[in-house]
Amino acid sequence: MRSNAMKKEKDFDINNCYTISGKLALPYTYFAGRTGSTFITHIRDNKKIMGVRCNHCNKVFIPPRQTCEKCLSMISDNWVELENQGEILNYTVVRYDDNHLPRKAPFILAMIKLGKADTPVIHIVEGISINDVKEGLKVKAVFAEKTTNTILDIDHFEPV
Amino acid sequence: MGHRKKNRNVGIVGIGETKFSSHREDVNQPEMINEAVRDALNDAGLSIDDVECVVHGNMELFEMIHQPDLWHTLGTGAYGKDAYRLTTGGTTGGTLVAAADNLVASGMYDVVLAIGFEKLQEGHTTGGITNMADPLWARKLQSGALTDSAAVKVIAEFGEERAKRAAMTYRIIMDKHACLNPNSHRAFGLDWDQMDDLIKNSPPLIGNLRLIHMCSQSDGACAMIFASEEKAKSITDKPVWVRDHICIHREETLNLCNNYYPNQTTHKFAAEKLYERNGITDPVEYFDVFEMYDPSAWWGMDWIRDFFLLKDDEHIKLIENKDIMIDGKIPINPSGGVIAANPIGATAMVRVAEAAKQIRGNAGPHQIPRQVNHALASSFGGTMWTILFMLEKELNW
Amino acid sequence: MTKYFGVAIDDIFNSMAERFRPEGAADVDVKVGYDIREFGKRKLVISNRKMSLEKTDDLSDCNAVIKTDERTFVGVTVGKIETMEAIIALKFRVKGDQGVLALLPRLFLKLSTQEKDVKQEQELLVLKKVISVKQKFATGPVMGKFLKGLKEEKVLAIKCPECGRLQSPPREVCAICRVKNTEWVEVGPEGELRMLEYCYYASPDPLTGETRETPYGAIGVLLDKCKDEEVFWHLLNPAHLDRVKMGIVLGEKVIKGTRLRPVWSENRTGSINDIKYFEIAE
Repeated sequence: MRSNAMKKEKDFDINNCYTISGKLALPYTYFAGRTGSTFITHIRDNKKIMGVRCNHCNKVFIPPRQTCEKCLSMISDNWVELENQGEILNYTVVRYDDNHLPRKAPFILAMIKLGKADTPVIHIVEGISINDVKEGLKVKAVFAEKTTNTILDIDHFEPV
Repeated sequence: MGHRKKNRNVGIVGIGETKFSSHREDVNQPEMINEAVRDALNDAGLSIDDVECVVHGNMELFEMIHQPDLWHTLGTGAYGKDAYRLTTGGTTGGTLVAAADNLVASGMYDVVLAIGFEKLQEGHTTGGITNMADPLWARKLQSGALTDSAAVKVIAEFGEERAKRAAMTYRIIMDKHACLNPNSHRAFGLDWDQMDDLIKNSPPLIGNLRLIHMCSQSDGACAMIFASEEKAKSITDKPVWVRDHICIHREETLNLCNNYYPNQTTHKFAAEKLYERNGITDPVEYFDVFEMYDPSAWWGMDWIRDFFLLKDDEHIKLIENKDIMIDGKIPINPSGGVIAANPIGATAMVRVAEAAKQIRGNAGPHQIPRQVNHALASSFGGTMWTILFMLEKELNW
Repeated sequence: MTKYFGVAIDDIFNSMAERFRPEGAADVDVKVGYDIREFGKRKLVISNRKMSLEKTDDLSDCNAVIKTDERTFVGVTVGKIETMEAIIALKFRVKGDQGVLALLPRLFLKLSTQEKDVKQEQELLVLKKVISVKQKFATGPVMGKFLKGLKEEKVLAIKCPECGRLQSPPREVCAICRVKNTEWVEVGPEGELRMLEYCYYASPDPLTGETRETPYGAIGVLLDKCKDEEVFWHLLNPAHLDRVKMGIVLGEKVIKGTRLRPVWSENRTGSINDIKYFEIAE
C-alpha cells in the first residue's frame, strides 16, 4: 500500500516536499522576414490586406508565406490584393483573462474568409454581442490608429 | 554494449546548408529552413515528394517558440508526411543524423530528410542554456556553456605558457580554415604574428576563456537526405555511407567542475567503444579527417586526446606541429568548426555534413587536397554528451 | 589598388569630403587618426562644421587613433565585416576616445558600393519582447530535506550505499551505481576552494530576468568530510575574487586551495539564497 511504502522510507519523508516560486523570463527577438514584413507594412501604411497565390495548387494563402507548404514552390512574388471584408467561417468566445491576450474577456475570436483567399485569417470581432455573433456574418476590417508592426495593425473586424 | 548490426546500409545522398550569419533579418524561421531544404533536394536531384519522413530539431525554446516543427511545415515540406521532432541540446544535430540513420537502417523508410536549425539572433543563447539547469540550485549559478574548467585543467597539466599558446594556435588554425569556407559565420583572418597579442589582450569571458576562444552564435539551417543502400545507389553516384554511430550520455551531478580525476569522459568512452567494435586500432592513422564539435578552443584542444585515444602531450604536439591543418597529417575541422559557425540545433549535423562533403571531394575551397575515404564526426551537448559518427566512401567493412 | 568587397581603400578616403554631413558635426570638435597597415596614416580634423583630411605621420594630437589593416578597414566601412568581431579579433583597435566610433557614422554618408541591392532597402520588421511566465518548482522529498537543512545552517549530503560517494545538493539515485541513495551525512560547512569561475560576463537569470553584476565568482568548494569530486557549487564573495587560490589535484600534484566558509543569510527560507555566498575563512 502506498502509505506503508512512504512510512518505510523514513528519509524520503513527504513532509520535506514543498514548492518554490520562480519564473521564466528571457528576452527574444522575432524577425518577420521579407514576406511577413511586406504583409504587415501593406496593412500598416496602405490599409491593404495582401495574400499570395500558389499557381501550381491554385490556392491563395493569407497570412502570406514564402513557400507553398504542399508543393514547396516559391510563391512570395505572387501577391494578390484581398478585400478588406469577408465572412465569418467559425468563431469562439474567449472567456478568460491573461497578460498575452489582446482584449479583456469576454471577446470574440473568429476565422474570417476574405474574398478570394483559401485560408481564413484569425482576428478579433467587435461591435456585436457575443450572443449574436454567428457563422456567415459579414465583417470588415477596422485599421488601427496607433500601429505596432504586428497583425494588430488591423485593430479588429466589425459587422458590415 | 547493446547495439545490433544494421538491417541495411544507409547513405547520405543530399546535403544542404544555409550561410551561417548573425544577420538573417530577411527571413523568418521556416523560410530559412526552406533554403537548406531546397539546397539538399537540389543536391540529391530529388523532389519533396520523394521524401518519406522528415526529422526536425533545434534547441527547444531558444527562439522562445515551443514545438516550432508545426509552424515550420511551411518550409520543411513535412506536410502530409511522417515527421519526428528531436531536441537534445547541443547534440541535436547529431541525434537527428543518428535518428535518420536508424529509421532508414531499420527498413521503416527508404528516404528520410533530417533538418537542424537555429536562429540564435531571435533568442538569448546563454539565458536559454542556463534555463536547462535545475531551477532550485544550478540555475542561479550556471553560466551557460561558458566555463573555465577546461583551461584550468590544461594549464595545470602542461603549464600556463604552453597551454595558452597551444589553445591560441588551435584557434588560429580554425580561423584559417574558416576563411576558406564560404558558409562560415566568422572568419577573422587571424595571423600567426597576432598570437601573443590575442593571448594577452582579447577580452575575457570567464577566467582564461576569452571571447576569441569561444564559439559564435549563429543563425542557420542544415538539411541532409538519407537513403537506403539500394535507393542511394540509384539517386547518386557519390553516396557517403554512414558506417556506425554511438551515443554516450553521462549523468553528471552538479559537480562537473572538478574532473581532474581519472574518470572516464564520455568522449573517451565513446571513442573506445566505437573503435573496438569496428576494429580500429590507430584512429589517427585510419581517419582522413575529423570534424569535431569544439565549442571553445580550450575544449577542442583538450578533447583531441580523448577522441584519438592519445597519451600525455601527443595531442598538444599535433597542434604545435600544425598536423591538424587542412594539408596536415590529420586535418581537424577543415570547415572551421563550431568556433566559426554555431547555429546550435544544426551544428552537430553540419559536422557530419562537412565530413560527408570531404569524402565526396566537393566541399569547396576548404576541401582537403587528398583522397578522403574515412571520416569521423562528433557531437557535443549538455553535460558532456557525445555522439560519434563514422563515415565511409566505400562499402568496405 | 586592391579592392576588398568591391571597394578600394582610396574610394573611401577620396570620397570623404563629398560624403561629409555638416549638419551632423554641429558641436563636434575632434581629431581622428587612421593608422592603416599597408596604406599609411591619415588625420581627419572636424571643427566648425568643416572637415579636413591630411596624410601625415604625426597622430599624436588625435583624440582617437583607429589602428587596423586595409582589408578590415574597408570591410568595416562597407558593413561587410562586423566591427565588434573585428575588435574581438584585435584586428580593429581604437586607442583613446572610444566614443569616436559611434560618432563617425553621424558625420559621413554611407559609401555607395557597386552592389546595388534594391531588396536591401525594404523595411524588415523586427519584434523584441521579453517573455515572462510564472512558475512553481517542486522540491521533492530529497531536495526538500537538503534545503530545509540550510534553514538550520546545516549542509546535508546524501550517500550512495554502494560506492559511498556523497552528493550535495543531493540526488535520489546514484547514477553510477543505479541505486537509491539512502544515508544522510552532515558536511562542512567550511571547505577548500577547488574551482573558481571568474566571470566577466553575466547573462540574465531566467528566474528573475535580472543580470548579475560583474565580475562575480561561481565556485566549487570541497566541504569538510567530502572528497575527490564531491564539490559543492555556490558563489564567492565578489570582494574576495582576487585573493583566493584554487586547490588542484592532478595525479601526484596536490595544491591546497583557500579555506572558505559560508555566509548565511539573515532571512532563510529553505532555498539556495539561504547561503549568501562563501568567503575566506580567516
